[in-house]
Amino acid sequence: EKWAATRPKHPPTSLALQHFDAAYSVHLGPLWPSVRCALLSERKYGALFNNFSSDTLLEDLGAQGCRDFISNVETEVQPPEPAVGDSGYQQLSPNIRCFVFPRGDVSRFKPARPDQDGLLGYYLMDAASVLPCLALNVQAGHNVLDLCAAPGGKTLALLQTASLGFLCVNDSSVSRTSRLRKVLRSYVPKQHLTDEKIRVTTLDGTHWGEIERNVFDRVLVDVPCTTDRHSLLEDDNNIFSKSRTGERRGLPQLQLQLLLAGIEAACPGGEIVYSTCTLSPHQNASVVEQALHWARENHGIQLEVVDLRRLTHLFRNTFHFAPDLHLGEMVVPHLAANFGPIYMCKMRRLT
Amino acid sequence: SSQSELALSSVVEMGFTDSQAEQICALSRFRGSNPKHALSTLTALFVLGLNPASVLKVIEKCPELYTVKEAQLQQRITNLRKLGLVEGSLQRVVVHYPQILTVPAKRIRTAVTFLREKCLFTMHQVTGILRDSPAAVLENTNHLEYKFQYVYFRMGVKQAEMVKSKLFRFSLDEVRNRHSFLERRGLYQTPDKNGQTLVINPRLDRVLHSDQDAFLKLASASAEEYDVFKRLVEREWRQEEHQWARWEKWIQEEGKEKIT
Ligand SMILES: C[S@@+](CC[C@H](N)C(=O)[O-])C[C@H]1O[C@@H](n2cnc3c(N)ncnc32)[C@H](O)[C@@H]1O
Repeated sequence: EKWAATRPKHPPTSLALQHFDAAYSVHLGPLWPSVRCALLSERKYGALFNNFSSDTLLEDLGAQGCRDFISNVETEVQPPEPAVGDSGYQQLSPNIRCFVFPRGDVSRFKPARPDQDGLLGYYLMDAASVLPCLALNVQAGHNVLDLCAAPGGKTLALLQTASLGFLCVNDSSVSRTSRLRKVLRSYVPKQHLTDEKIRVTTLDGTHWGEIERNVFDRVLVDVPCTTDRHSLLEDDNNIFSKSRTGERRGLPQLQLQLLLAGIEAACPGGEIVYSTCTLSPHQNASVVEQALHWARENHGIQLEVVDLRRLTHLFRNTFHFAPDLHLGEMVVPHLAANFGPIYMCKMRRLT
Repeated sequence: SSQSELALSSVVEMGFTDSQAEQICALSRFRGSNPKHALSTLTALFVLGLNPASVLKVIEKCPELYTVKEAQLQQRITNLRKLGLVEGSLQRVVVHYPQILTVPAKRIRTAVTFLREKCLFTMHQVTGILRDSPAAVLENTNHLEYKFQYVYFRMGVKQAEMVKSKLFRFSLDEVRNRHSFLERRGLYQTPDKNGQTLVINPRLDRVLHSDQDAFLKLASASAEEYDVFKRLVEREWRQEEHQWARWEKWIQEEGKEKIT
């Protein structure tokens, strides 16, 4: 609560709020009060369904009143014409399922319980976090890199597609990587976690290009950011605390380096999805713009931006998308569908 | 008719029409009512200057009045006059909220003392509260105090404005829902030590008395958003079990002397 007795004069949460008020009232304009209120109120979760669990949870979840938003898309309305760069847009992975309570319904999920093999039936995460994984559009046999993977929500979503060739999972933080390993053990059977199928590393992702270049069919670059929602609600471990000012100011630079490393790691023809959970254009579209420029100028890599409007159109009843973003797509929080913020932009390597 | 009921004839004699008199008598079957007290109550209401139709309305709203002894009723009326409810306002209060006459004078004095000493309302302001929101005297004083402190500290509203905007007509939840909705939307701010805010707060009157449409316009929100919001914060507040204790502590540590 805001007026708790122990509150310091300028807690990081209120510094974050001041910062966002100044920046987003300009960036989002009349949308900001609505987004602000949603950010400061209880968020909604999605239950990423674990196909590896043997529990018969589907009926259970259905009985609670939630539904898989991915398979339950409304299809009667014509999607927009495929735009430039959308040529290779394929079927959504039919294996990723994520349950959400309907719009306006504020019910909560119960914590997942282990099945007879000790595997959990679902993973609770921001349902909008599944979108970058869907956008990545992993196909059978693909080599995939998840560059900033911990604690592993998106990794789990990618693993649901089952037919992966090889998955490289990385995060520079030792403690977070061990959390990620724990998550993997709680959700994925051992025979799917063998060295032939998956590799977990704890490396600084900015140097990935020096290790493995032109290798991966798909790369997910889910960068560290100002984590807007967390920064507004939790004083602990808050990037707006005075002592972390330098780190915060350095984020766009780090994000750019990570994205460039991800681009280099992808093979020609390969696809990269950049994602964040901030509304900040400096950490979103600007980073992508600079990366496109740098890749071309300094690495000789040509990229095209892949239009995601068909994807957002499919899920327009589950999420609120920011209107008219010139680059990428963004889920903005709304009280009735309190997911996000999630920004994502998809690129394809032409060379 | 039995001993415990009012005689129709004596009621008609007081000036009620036949059908009014029948209703008046029917209401006297209320449990615990006593024809002697019923008659003296009706007389006292006439003496206050109410007409038969108003008296009927009062009894319909609050048949418990038939159980109040004459002396008690007189004492309560005198007490209310002493608290500043002079002719005109006393009658309006009784018609609007007849339950006020079922409240022992002592309890009302306790509430008045509370409003004066804990919330530092002037006597004149307390009279205003009694006149505009008499039900406040029946509210649990902890609730009353919480509501006052919420509006005083969180919303930065002074006593005079509270009285002017008839704050005590609204429940804590109504006040809190509307205020915190505006606050989270960035449209309301707690003033700092010098009473300054970065946004211009809407007046309390506008926050509370706007109908739903006008309020949504003020908040530039949709009805759907406000509906979901109310359900969310209801749960938030229920979960804040220690909120009251923390609030008390906060007041003690940095707030109390600020009430002026
Ligand atoms: C937004 S989180 C990733 C969330 C994760 N993809 C998921 O869905 O659960 C960003 C992660 O980037 C990691 N990180 C920060 N700097 C990094 C770097 N230089 N290289 C690799 N990972 C880094 C952080 O430890 C953090 O776990």
